[in-house]
Amino acid sequence: MKYMSKFTFSILLILTSFLVNAQTKTTDSIPPKIEKYGVRFGADISKLIQSFYDENYKGIEFVGDYRVTKNYYLAGELGNENTTVADNRLSFTTQGTYLKVGFDYNSYENWLDMRNMLYIGMRYGASTFSQTLNSYAIYNTSNYFSEAPTVISGEKYNGLTSQWIEVVMGLKAEVLKNIYLGFSIRMNRLLTNTKPDNFDNLYIPGFNRTYNGDFGIGFNYSVSYFLPLYKTKSTKKEVQKKKK
Amino acid sequence: MKKIQLLFVCLFLITFSSCEKDDICEATTPTTPNLVIEFYDALNPTVKKNVTNLAVKEINSTASLAFTGTSKIKIPLRITQDLTKYSFILNSTDVTMDNEDFLQFNYSRQNLFVSRACGFKTNFIFNSTLPFIKTETSIPDGYWIQNVVINTSNISTENEIHVKIYF
Repeated sequence: MKYMSKFTFSILLILTSFLVNAQTKTTDSIPPKIEKYGVRFGADISKLIQSFYDENYKGIEFVGDYRVTKNYYLAGELGNENTTVADNRLSFTTQGTYLKVGFDYNSYENWLDMRNMLYIGMRYGASTFSQTLNSYAIYNTSNYFSEAPTVISGEKYNGLTSQWIEVVMGLKAEVLKNIYLGFSIRMNRLLTNTKPDNFDNLYIPGFNRTYNGDFGIGFNYSVSYFLPLYKTKSTKKEVQKKKK
Repeated sequence: MKKIQLLFVCLFLITFSSCEKDDICEATTPTTPNLVIEFYDALNPTVKKNVTNLAVKEINSTASLAFTGTSKIKIPLRITQDLTKYSFILNSTDVTMDNEDFLQFNYSRQNLFVSRACGFKTNFIFNSTLPFIKTETSIPDGYWIQNVVINTSNISTENEIHVKIYF
């Protein structure tokens, strides 16, 4: 352990000396940094792909963001999901629409005029949906009687709503000019949840599967197009200040 | 960067810790309750009385449940129909001493949601006008069951006595 840290330390030392070298050489030739501002919109491809191969799932999600300041983006998602979950003990269908709004903070310092993002953000999410209980099994600790057949229900619960907050972590990379590929992972926590009588919201559109508590996990893979609206130039002074 | 990596690790840990919890229906979760019957002395109604070699068999089933040296038994009710008829044979191991009585329990059922892992459970409510019917064998051998009393008509937990039988 001791030797390891010594080793990494010396490597780091060498690397930093290179960095310092490189910086002093190039300070004079740094061009003014151009920052482009605009809107970016796209869709979640994972939901589209799943809609093709999974007959129990139909979903679409549009994503969009607007660059407000250098590092802050106003961001949101709008989607619709229709999914049938067939668990061991029960089968149900959830369908509904959701909207998420919030912000992303880009923590990645881009080189020159690159516009990649490594961001954290937050969202407020809301969904209106319905649940249909397709069938269920009755749990019986006694095995004296043979296992009772699955009960076919078909009961539909309409007008359900949920609200939640999400902590988002993700990245967006410009793969072609103005075309971005993105991935994000989300930790969700329910704020309000209207549960149907004698059933539960085991899946909420936009929120994803619910667990016994209020927590959930979500993710998306997005493809989006950036529409530049205006540019700003940062002066040389500013650039130098930041480098130091 | 390191902070972000750490956050990712935390996120995955939280993901998996919450996955395990609700996929198995735990034995402690209250699900469909059995009917709890307690036996009392007919001559001394406040005193519990143990049964000896009691065989309990649902009339359409082949297997029978055997109880001996206990005053409290738990038997299941059918969750597919609103009645369950049981034969109660006291002293079932003795051919000369055995005595068979029938008890048919009438009830309504309620299917209640428990959880994703357990699914639903059935609770029972005894029919208020005719909760049970006591009958004899085709060749009468006299009732060994003197009296039946419904103690709780709502069968939702096994922590209480639902039926008291005096003999």
